[in-house]
Amino acid sequence: MVYPLGYAIYLSLFNYDLGNGAHDFIGFGNYGALLAEQRFWNSLDRTVAIVLAAVGLEFGLGLAIAYGLYRLTFGVRTLNLLLFLPNIVTPVVAALFLRWIFMGRWGLIAGTLIGWGIFPPDFLGDPDWARATVILADAWQFTPFMIMVLYAGLNTVDQSQIEAAQIDGAGVWTLLFRIMMPAIQPLIVFVLAIRLMDAFRFFDTIYVMTGGGPGSATETITLYTYALAFRLLQVGKACALGVLTLLFVALLTALMIRFVYRRERGAF
Amino acid sequence: MTTRSLSRRHLLQAASALAAPVLLGARARAAGTIQMISHRYPALEYYADKMRNALPDTTVNTQLMPFDKALELETIAFSSKADTIDIAYANDSTFLTFAKNGWLRPLDDLWAKYQDEFKLADFSDSVLKTYHFNGHLYLMPFTLNAMLFFYRKDLFDQAGKQPPKTMLEYRDLAKSFNTPLRAGTISCLKPVDAALNESHWYLNTIGDGWFDKDWKPIFNDTRGAQAITLMQEITRDAQQGFTSAANDECMIALQQDVATMGLQWATRAKAMDDPKKSRVVDKMEFEAPRQGRARISSDGYGISAFSKQDPDTLFRIMATATNQASMRGAASFALSPRQSVMQDSELIKENRFYPAALTAVGTGLPLPGLAEFYSVGDFITRRVLQALTGEMTVKAALDAAAGETETFLKGHGYYK
Repeated sequence: MVYPLGYAIYLSLFNYDLGNGAHDFIGFGNYGALLAEQRFWNSLDRTVAIVLAAVGLEFGLGLAIAYGLYRLTFGVRTLNLLLFLPNIVTPVVAALFLRWIFMGRWGLIAGTLIGWGIFPPDFLGDPDWARATVILADAWQFTPFMIMVLYAGLNTVDQSQIEAAQIDGAGVWTLLFRIMMPAIQPLIVFVLAIRLMDAFRFFDTIYVMTGGGPGSATETITLYTYALAFRLLQVGKACALGVLTLLFVALLTALMIRFVYRRERGAF
Repeated sequence: MTTRSLSRRHLLQAASALAAPVLLGARARAAGTIQMISHRYPALEYYADKMRNALPDTTVNTQLMPFDKALELETIAFSSKADTIDIAYANDSTFLTFAKNGWLRPLDDLWAKYQDEFKLADFSDSVLKTYHFNGHLYLMPFTLNAMLFFYRKDLFDQAGKQPPKTMLEYRDLAKSFNTPLRAGTISCLKPVDAALNESHWYLNTIGDGWFDKDWKPIFNDTRGAQAITLMQEITRDAQQGFTSAANDECMIALQQDVATMGLQWATRAKAMDDPKKSRVVDKMEFEAPRQGRARISSDGYGISAFSKQDPDTLFRIMATATNQASMRGAASFALSPRQSVMQDSELIKENRFYPAALTAVGTGLPLPGLAEFYSVGDFITRRVLQALTGEMTVKAALDAAAGETETFLKGHGYYK
């Protein structure tokens, strides 16, 4: 890991352009150029919005389903196994068939709805729908991971605490939000941090489903990095963007951990 | 002292052990399978098969994929000077990037050596001219292609309409034919290649083109903005998903009776009459775009400058795949760059898209001869799509694209 990271940092200090053969040391020039660029900030904004929406949706759904499974008295193992299936599909393969599901006119959803006389929106062609679709696609694939971790966490909560709360008259939701969630808070931070780090590298699904389009509607930081490296051939600048992304994700994760660590000293 | 001697010996042994498989592997690869990478459409699938079977005792592994994927893979491999590609696909525009960067091997010596054996003088001079960079030939031509106007003759007849003579008529026809079940027109605007193709038609027909003689952008002038505004109006009657549709998706939309008409490559014409894939057999007609200036292109293959394979073998594979007999076999898929095949009256009769394609070759325009065109195409197509989807106004989007293009080209030594 050290060599590729070190090499990327090294290259980020050069005007290394495969298109014109340039390979000149420019210090932090690439970083300065990126930070002054509207396309960088737009793709960062878009990434943050998509990641927060996707991870938020995954967490909400994951917690609800995990709690449902926790309260279920039969068939938990089978349901758990079935729910986990989307998570084991290779992202590119998942994206390919999600593309055919969401494709306009003859995609599975559009085709079915049109058969019923309902004409759906252009899921991948309309900027707002395209953003919503990639969020749904990510949620479909990674909610099972949330379910699995949160379900395991809920099962570690001390039964005596739950029983005591029930004796005091706590209902289903009070039990979840007041007793169980605080008890598994470090696990929640862990799973959110893992998903946030992962979602910031969100590339394959968007690349296959929308290619970052229409226009720049779904162009995230990683899509922009790819465009810089392989379309514009500006390898030095692409490496700088990769390093900036790494720093951003590391900072975000550190802040999350610090926030919880301060409140729950000794939790980590 | 003993320790140092032992450790040095150990180091040498370890280095040799590590180097041996690498060196042996390189030699084994050099003598082994030839790797070919290509864009994919029916004509190129045909030629891939011909390359696989071109020479006895030679194995050619052909990898065919959509255009943008092939271009990206080639760029990655070439820019890292990898020998993982031996024969590479390129068109009349992308080869400029490859040749300028020294990623392709010039073919002049091999062309001269095998001229008689493979009757290479039969290739059209005008096509060969487009494959020259700095006086050297870099590609063996395989197909000659032109964008045609595809339209549903049965629907036009029912409606008492004629194919459009102007872009404005095209807009009105698209509107009149548009229904919830069948779009008025196809539009293929997936960045970068497909969106460049379609923008090329509008910008050259309504606008003043892409660049002036000094490579300064002119696509954002008033007429350019009018062209993209008209494109915006027409795409309102296009099939769903047009912003991410490439040629495959547009071909399917026409084949599956989901769209009435639109601009598409001549190489897709035969697929309209394939009863296994098409619901519009014998219903689709083809015309050269009436105002001309749609894109013409030619596809070919070159030899990687980093290939460890014998260049003669690679050239013979390409030349065998493009001999006269082979090209006659591909005539129903694409126009041939061999004059003897292209002008064969029997083939013209047999393939009903030929008259339109031959006319379109004469009236069309290639993409600008700029080695960085696909790179700046990334800015331009992204901005054009931002305009079409309402994220920006047309003029603002084109001005932004022009600014980005100028900055990029300046960084590549232009405008000095």
